[in-house]
Amino acid sequence: MLQLLVGQTLNGVIVGTLYGIIALGVTLTFGITGIVNFALGEFMMIGAYVTWYLFDVAGLPFPIAIGPAVAAAALCGFAADQLLFRFTRNNLINGLLVSIGLISIIEAAALLLWTTTPKDMGYVLSGAVRLGDTSLPKMKLVVFALLAAVMFLTYAALSRTWMGRAAYAYAQNPEAAMLMGVRTEGLQSAVVVYSTALAGFGGALYATLYSLEPSMGGLYILKGVEAAILGGIGSLIGSLAGGIILGVTEAVGSIYLPSAFRDAYGLIFVVAILLYRPSGLFGAER
Amino acid sequence: MKALLWLPLLIFPALVQSNFILSIFTFSFILAIAAVSFNVIFGFTGQLSMFHAAAFGIAAYITSLTASFFQVSFWVALLPTMAFTILISLVVGSICFKFQLRAFYFAVVTLAFSELARLVILNWNSVTNGTLGLMVLDRPFVWMPGTGLLKIDGVFGWYFFSLTALIFTVAVCSLVLNSWIGRCFAAIRLNEDLAQTLGIDTFRYKLLSFTLANTLAAIAGSLYAFYTGYIEPAYLSINQSLDIIAMVLLGGRSSIVGPIAGAFVLTGLPHMIELSGEARAILYGLVLILTILILPQGVIGTLASLRRAA
Repeated sequence: MLQLLVGQTLNGVIVGTLYGIIALGVTLTFGITGIVNFALGEFMMIGAYVTWYLFDVAGLPFPIAIGPAVAAAALCGFAADQLLFRFTRNNLINGLLVSIGLISIIEAAALLLWTTTPKDMGYVLSGAVRLGDTSLPKMKLVVFALLAAVMFLTYAALSRTWMGRAAYAYAQNPEAAMLMGVRTEGLQSAVVVYSTALAGFGGALYATLYSLEPSMGGLYILKGVEAAILGGIGSLIGSLAGGIILGVTEAVGSIYLPSAFRDAYGLIFVVAILLYRPSGLFGAER
Repeated sequence: MKALLWLPLLIFPALVQSNFILSIFTFSFILAIAAVSFNVIFGFTGQLSMFHAAAFGIAAYITSLTASFFQVSFWVALLPTMAFTILISLVVGSICFKFQLRAFYFAVVTLAFSELARLVILNWNSVTNGTLGLMVLDRPFVWMPGTGLLKIDGVFGWYFFSLTALIFTVAVCSLVLNSWIGRCFAAIRLNEDLAQTLGIDTFRYKLLSFTLANTLAAIAGSLYAFYTGYIEPAYLSINQSLDIIAMVLLGGRSSIVGPIAGAFVLTGLPHMIELSGEARAILYGLVLILTILILPQGVIGTLASLRRAA
């Protein structure tokens, strides 16, 4: 029993970091452009399918396949920003609805390109690490390490570089940031594109662990938004922590409670958090 | 005067004998009820509720299950549905509004409740038959002067039955929205803090708007279940909510009848043009995006402002 519990907790942590990387994108986009990009899950799907294509079909080594996958997601993100999201800045409802329209289009395009048949990518890294009684696939550890590294690098970049400080300044007071010489248009586009690149990176790593379906994005964006709310919108570390808490709750919850309601545990958690601590676990008090 | 505008729809079946077109109209009428009622909470009160499809789907299930389980008529089965819809709207609405959830947070929490309802229906196999859904074999009866009890069956029966329900919905909405209640809704939409300062009990009016919208959606859901003869958990899905939102946006959120136009376009268009599922989804996404970016007031709203300008 203990072995199962430990195993499920570790699995939950790894799935949780995948939620976390989407949550990071949600938090960044919301802080700088005032909208929630619900289509982030679709950019994750793009990253996953490009990785699968380059690794499995074209036969490139995995580290080389990641680059174009992230680039493809970022490029689509740039196009979406210039054509659509540029016109919905700071308009939450319109941004929500435009991104929902975008989900519909990208998902249908993916269905046309790759059909509903799930795609399984071959092993990138086989073998497992033994931790006492539980064994953990090496690839899962690599995925966890890479995702955590990217999230901490983002955190460091935001607090150390000029661009990062400009983003913080803009989130606090747009007018003052503008007066200090922050190019707000460029900053907003950069953040939207960066969040889609993060999602693409998450997708590339997702492809090494699970099978791919065109509808995978819808689930992950819901979890990403839940994780972002749980951790507190605006908090970068909160989005990682929120993702991990959500992942572990689901994994451990499905041992003791009917697993058909797996997706509901997180929702109940989020509703409770929103009601009693609307700023999230790590967010600043409002 | 405005009531005369319904006249063409009443004589329409006499002119067009095509069963295909009349059944598309029937679908449009039923979905228009859902869209018009959604506009009460979204367009007039300014709250993006994601619970609408849940109210629609829960009602479809309760009405048809009650009718088949207890062998009662559509009208009797509608009573527990209404009672339950009002109860659940009061519970969900009270939680959301008591805690002052606004905009995005309101949408997320109502979406959470809606997903919970869908998961319950999906997994309660013994009653709801899970993903496979259930057939609904009963048909509603109405009493007509002269002929007595009349079974609603066939294209013409359903056409007039659903049209009557739509007219009823529009009448209820325009009565409420054109009264002082509607003005309180508008005050909340325009500036909630100011409305509260002026002495409007925003909690009570938001709850009223939410409950009214869901109750009317319950009528649409019950009709839909009996018309299609089939219920499935997809009625409660996020996509169903989005379809209704798209209808309202396309038609225009500032008028009562606007969403009807949206319902007609989005229900009729995919049937008129032969399209694959993927092409339909792409078209739907494009309509949604272009409407928001180019026609933010919707078709009816834009036409109205063009007429004012001319």
